[in-house]
Amino acid sequence: MTPPPIRWRALLFWLGALAAVTAVMLAVRGHLDQAHVTLVLLLVVLGASAVGGRTVGIATAIASFLVFNWFFLPPYYTFVIANPLDWLVLVAFLITGLVAAQLLYRAQEEARIARERSVEVDRLATLGAETLSVGSAEASLAAVTAVIRDTIGAAKCEVHLRGAQHSALVDWVLSTGNAAAQQQDGTVHLHAARPTAAELRALETGVVLALLLPLQAREKIVGVLRVESPEGLRLDPARWRFLDAISYYAALAVERSQLVADAERAEALRETNRLKDALLASVSHDLRTPLTTIKALAHDLSVLGDERSEIIEAEADRLNRTVADLLDLSRLNAGALQVRAEVNSVDDLLGALVQRVEGSVGPHRLVVSLPPDAPLLLGRFDLVHSLRILANLVENAAKYSPPDTPIEVSVARHNGQLAVSVADRGPGVVPGEEDRIFEAFYRASTVPDTGGAGLGLSIARRLAEIQDGSLDYHPRAGGGSVFTLRLPAMDDTVLTKP
Amino acid sequence: MSRHTILVVDDEPQIRRAVHNALAGDSARIVDAATGKDALTAAASERADLVVLDLGLPDMPGIDVCRELRGWSEAPILVLSARHTDDEKVALLDAGADDYMTKPFSVVELQARVRALLRRSKASDAQPQIRSGALVIDLVGRTASVRGQLVHLTPIEWELLRTLATNAGRTLTHRQIFAKVWQGRAAGDAQQYLRVHVAHLRRKIEEDPVRPRHIITEPGVGYRFASAEQA
Repeated sequence: MTPPPIRWRALLFWLGALAAVTAVMLAVRGHLDQAHVTLVLLLVVLGASAVGGRTVGIATAIASFLVFNWFFLPPYYTFVIANPLDWLVLVAFLITGLVAAQLLYRAQEEARIARERSVEVDRLATLGAETLSVGSAEASLAAVTAVIRDTIGAAKCEVHLRGAQHSALVDWVLSTGNAAAQQQDGTVHLHAARPTAAELRALETGVVLALLLPLQAREKIVGVLRVESPEGLRLDPARWRFLDAISYYAALAVERSQLVADAERAEALRETNRLKDALLASVSHDLRTPLTTIKALAHDLSVLGDERSEIIEAEADRLNRTVADLLDLSRLNAGALQVRAEVNSVDDLLGALVQRVEGSVGPHRLVVSLPPDAPLLLGRFDLVHSLRILANLVENAAKYSPPDTPIEVSVARHNGQLAVSVADRGPGVVPGEEDRIFEAFYRASTVPDTGGAGLGLSIARRLAEIQDGSLDYHPRAGGGSVFTLRLPAMDDTVLTKP
Repeated sequence: MSRHTILVVDDEPQIRRAVHNALAGDSARIVDAATGKDALTAAASERADLVVLDLGLPDMPGIDVCRELRGWSEAPILVLSARHTDDEKVALLDAGADDYMTKPFSVVELQARVRALLRRSKASDAQPQIRSGALVIDLVGRTASVRGQLVHLTPIEWELLRTLATNAGRTLTHRQIFAKVWQGRAAGDAQQYLRVHVAHLRRKIEEDPVRPRHIITEPGVGYRFASAEQA
């Protein structure tokens, strides 16, 4: 460390004070004892040390020593010492003066260091509070880097985040979590997040152009702090302490900005979903209200005996189903369809199916086989969606198979899956088209144009898939189609009865 | 027989007219309202015996109308809605509605459900016995029999049957049934047991478990006990 500059004015002042005190004591030399003189001179030395600093204090101590010898030790006005014991006094006085100066100096230094530390701590605490609460996440990160740059005295300070393109050295720091330094003669890779004392000393021998420190928050490396100075960074212990502490706040600021971004994304997603739902609900209402009026008026007509009312009502129902299909397709495409896969019984599913389609199979006989003594079959599926799929299959069977042919629904359990099959004696599907029939708006070639957009099977298959199930077709022996819905099965014994 | 007063609440005049026509008759006097506030006033001043409530009202959400009505009236509430989400149905039923129909509905079905609800509210709750087709439920003796043959039911199954039957005509949500039958006695995700128990119960009391006449599934919502006249 460079020696502090000599404070000439203070020195002159205290030497002047010494001179003044000496003059006063000279005047009354006859009445004074050596002890009086030494103590008074010591006071001057102490004053000089306290106020003027160590150098002034030492200079004053030496000057007082000379003054004491010349003016107050016989023989006066010489530096010769007559009495050997006077040597003791002289030397003791000098030592006391020097020690006093040194002790005072040290006490003041410690006080100064403590004050500096407390200022540092205050500043860090304020910075910490600022970065974590005020302003946007980007602003707080910018504030932290500015403070680091100004305090360290670097030319540039920046934070590199994960996800962006980086230089190889930044990537290395990000992946290993060790610090690195760029010196004039090359790059130094360190072995830990912070340099050891030995590494620090080694670094100081060269000129450190840039320092890269990993930023860690909650045991994850969230970024890299890079400080750079073309003239070389000054890395004294105080600056290291500061850098170490502030980099933690920088890490927290980085983490905060990431969390804020995540929260904003989640909120935007929620808002989009909310708008989607509102739109679909509104469309549903607008399409279904007129259908309600139509059905009600059709009922009035049927009461009056007009047979056409049945057709009106049936067509209104058909339109309603198409509306439902379109809305569900929208929801499926938007990823907005909810699935509640719960434990349900096959009895419930088939019972609800019969309830739903009994009126619309027309001249067909609906045969649902569930042997009464068969064990209870359970599965994990969404009852509403599965019901929709089966109703769709039965309605298709009714539409495309000849009248008076039965539509048979059966259930079996294979390999952890429930298989519900809907079989008809219709024309079947042309070989080669078995997968295409599940495409939206596809119209099979064997089917006469009975009208209606081909949405049902595509929606049905997707509804099956979102329940971890499947929907397949295979031709029926003896003519016709079999559509099989497979759903995850469950065991009755697995559920302990409370 | 005294006339029932039925309050019909819907903001669309055609729907009001349709429901009015469907329900008017010798035994019912119909009162209309087009907003939630009017509905609440009318229900009080006209002493409605049943309320048909549309949810798409302009001034307040249907669920609030339902809750307010339930605050002071025991009259059955049948909710109509063009939105079909099950969450909404369950929320309305939990808030005090007795039944829920989606638009477009069949007029015949509307009439049947209204009849069932009016019949239920007329019948006194202190009935010793409930009959539905071949099923006889003896609430005092705590037994059930089908065509004279006693049916053995576990305690849970009995409680389930009793809860549904004493609320005949009314759709009970899974949560309501669970709360009444288990009464906080089960822990964890016990609601799934409900459907299994209903399935077992059906196998004991229904002629054809695939064509149940007594316990009707309301998919995604809950169950309803249908009395013999209305299956």
